Amino acid sequence: MASTRTTHRRRVVVTVMVLFAIIAVFVVKLVDIQVVRAETLNADALGNRSVEDEIYGSRGDILASDGTVLAGTVMRYNITMSPKRAVKFTRTTDSGTESVSVAQAAAEIGGHTGQTPEAILAIIASALADNPDSDFAYVAKQVDVDVFRAVQALDIPWIYFKKTPSRVYPNGAVAGNLVGFVSSEGEAQAGLELDQDACVASANGMRTYERGGDGVPIPGSSVTISEATDGGDVITTIDPDLQWFVQQVLAEQAQATGAAWGTVVVQEAKTGRLLAVADYPSVDPNNVNGTENADDRGSRAFTASFEPGSTFKALTAAAVIDAGLATPGSKIVAPFRYLPENGANINDSSGHGDENLTLTGVLIESSNTGMSKFGEMLDDRQRYDYMTKFGVGTATEAAFPSEDTGILHPWEEWDNQTQYATMFGQGLTTTALQVASIYQAIGNQGVRMPVQLVAGCRQADGTIVNQPSAEGTQVVNADAARSTAQMLEMVYQQGWLADTWKIPGYRVAAKTGTAQMPDGNGGYSRGYLVSVSGFAPADDAQFVVSVSLADPVKMNSSAASAPVFQKVMSQVLKKYRAVPSGAPAPALPATW
Amino acid sequence: MSDNLARVAGSDFGGLDAASQHDRERRHIEIVASPGLRRARPRVFYALTALAGMGAIVVAQLLLSVGISQGAYELSSLQDERVELGRTADSVSQDVVRVSSPQSLAANAEALGMVSNSNPVYLRLSDGAVLGAPVSASGPAGKTAALVPNALLTGMPLVTELPPPAATPASTPGTGVAGAQPATASVVSPVASAPVAAPVHSGLPSPTTR
Repeated sequence: MASTRTTHRRRVVVTVMVLFAIIAVFVVKLVDIQVVRAETLNADALGNRSVEDEIYGSRGDILASDGTVLAGTVMRYNITMSPKRAVKFTRTTDSGTESVSVAQAAAEIGGHTGQTPEAILAIIASALADNPDSDFAYVAKQVDVDVFRAVQALDIPWIYFKKTPSRVYPNGAVAGNLVGFVSSEGEAQAGLELDQDACVASANGMRTYERGGDGVPIPGSSVTISEATDGGDVITTIDPDLQWFVQQVLAEQAQATGAAWGTVVVQEAKTGRLLAVADYPSVDPNNVNGTENADDRGSRAFTASFEPGSTFKALTAAAVIDAGLATPGSKIVAPFRYLPENGANINDSSGHGDENLTLTGVLIESSNTGMSKFGEMLDDRQRYDYMTKFGVGTATEAAFPSEDTGILHPWEEWDNQTQYATMFGQGLTTTALQVASIYQAIGNQGVRMPVQLVAGCRQADGTIVNQPSAEGTQVVNADAARSTAQMLEMVYQQGWLADTWKIPGYRVAAKTGTAQMPDGNGGYSRGYLVSVSGFAPADDAQFVVSVSLADPVKMNSSAASAPVFQKVMSQVLKKYRAVPSGAPAPALPATW
Repeated sequence: MSDNLARVAGSDFGGLDAASQHDRERRHIEIVASPGLRRARPRVFYALTALAGMGAIVVAQLLLSVGISQGAYELSSLQDERVELGRTADSVSQDVVRVSSPQSLAANAEALGMVSNSNPVYLRLSDGAVLGAPVSASGPAGKTAALVPNALLTGMPLVTELPPPAATPASTPGTGVAGAQPATASVVSPVASAPVAAPVHSGLPSPTTR
């Protein structure tokens, strides 16, 4: 009896211990799975079912002033393949099944992408030569929807597609010099794309979802990890139709005269807004490699400075009148050669005897000696101050990428010759934009407006930020500006190009300039930079046009740029319905 | 387990008096055997109710999940359709933007025989005054070279180069989803089928100013 009891007890104890041991094992395993390794296991489980999906943020547009898209984002598709899997396959069509060889598939793809079948087969061969297990190679990059759909419809099992947002420029080379371009990886490279990158840049988002065996997303499993943000839109002040016209006219004339390059700037006189900035040669951002010389892919109107030459005389004249030291009728004697007391040596471009000229006459004849006699009424410092107030020597407010400031040495560093040369546009350099800005100030009652290329950045919620300042500065008084404008009208009427640049019905103020170009070694080359700058209507200026042609070998004078000025100014006046001038220009005496 | 132990221990105790043994047995019988009480519970009814409830829940659950799955497929196919429609819309609007570029408009206008006049003249309605000096347009004798390139227009035909309307297969707008067809055709065809385009193909009379 007692032994039975002992056996019983022992059995019970063993049972209990075994039970506890089993439970302990379960508990340990449970804690291990549920607590210790929970995260890893969950992630693994999810990874088997879940799919990561990139949500593309759209890079903002660059718009013209009327809303025309100059640069926009579109979805393009990269066609990729798995070279190691590129073998014969069977395709099922309505008419049954057919066997498709690799060569046949390559021919079909090439028919849509424009590649030769050999080129596609070569891609496969070279990928396999590099790596026999190659699982990835590009067939074609950035094809559009039509090609994508056509290739997709071929149903080739070793062909894959990858979405890739891409940049498109619907207007091609229109404003291509300003808009710039992005690299094939989407990095901003030049122009406004680069300058306004902070405004237009977007950020891609990411979401995950789980999908079943047939690829359909499981409801409620979508998790957005990060939201995509679209870029803002840059609104420029450019008029695309006018920009096209100006580029076309400039290119025609530059080719006809054999010019190395040329620029045209069209600016609103009252606001400082740039309506068109044309460059020749220029770039089509859709085909950047089509413009071979990298220097031709930007905007020389902003980035190339040159000695302005005689167009600069308008500034000196306005300054002298503003200081109250002369009037349009002030009289001097202009010799062919003028030797001032400081030892400088000034002469005119062609020989002549002493001429009795008024300030108006000096501008009409574009006499260097005459302008020197007026310019020396102001000391160097005063003239330097006027120049800086007109914007010479500083980059414009447009702040274009790699914009040139031009060279304006401090007045203390001017040597004898430079003291006089700066009166008629030598010994200093300006960009085409700076010249246009000088004429804008003269046309706009002496008030210089900030140069505007970008009107602002329109964000996704519709608010416009980064609007530029529209506050002008009074450079010369209104009377001095008006007198200068009237003198420039006499230049337009009586200058040697009067017949070439005539615009019937309008009063126009304009001045030519011919300046030697640096040869890059500190000296001058044989070529000239010929320019015309002016504004219209002269009595109430609305538009400033500044034309520059560099080294027009077939016509090395301002006569080369005058037709461009005439055509562009006519077009601007017509397009914006400027009312023809009523009263004729007041006649100012040129001689005495 | 403890119940088991107690019972085993109880059966081993021999020294208990009969009365307490009897008491214990009585109590035991009273607690375990209570047929009246048992009969009072409608056990089958409860069981059926519970089973039916469970069944209903299972069926409802199944139906719901079938519904949701069905919705998922529908959602998925509609989303695919939306993507396709979006692609078609993008493609077509890109074509519109492309053909409305200044280069395309100028080339087409010139092909139709239009000449630009750069001399603006205005007629003031209040007094009939002519502002400006009228000069006849002097267009270029030949085709102006396209000096402002646009790579997107490569291969785009001018309006005068389009096939006559009859030759254009009728493409109905709205079937765009099926749009494996080149989108250019659907953009260009309305122009070609417009009544004004008919004489274009045969050529407009050139203006005398040329």
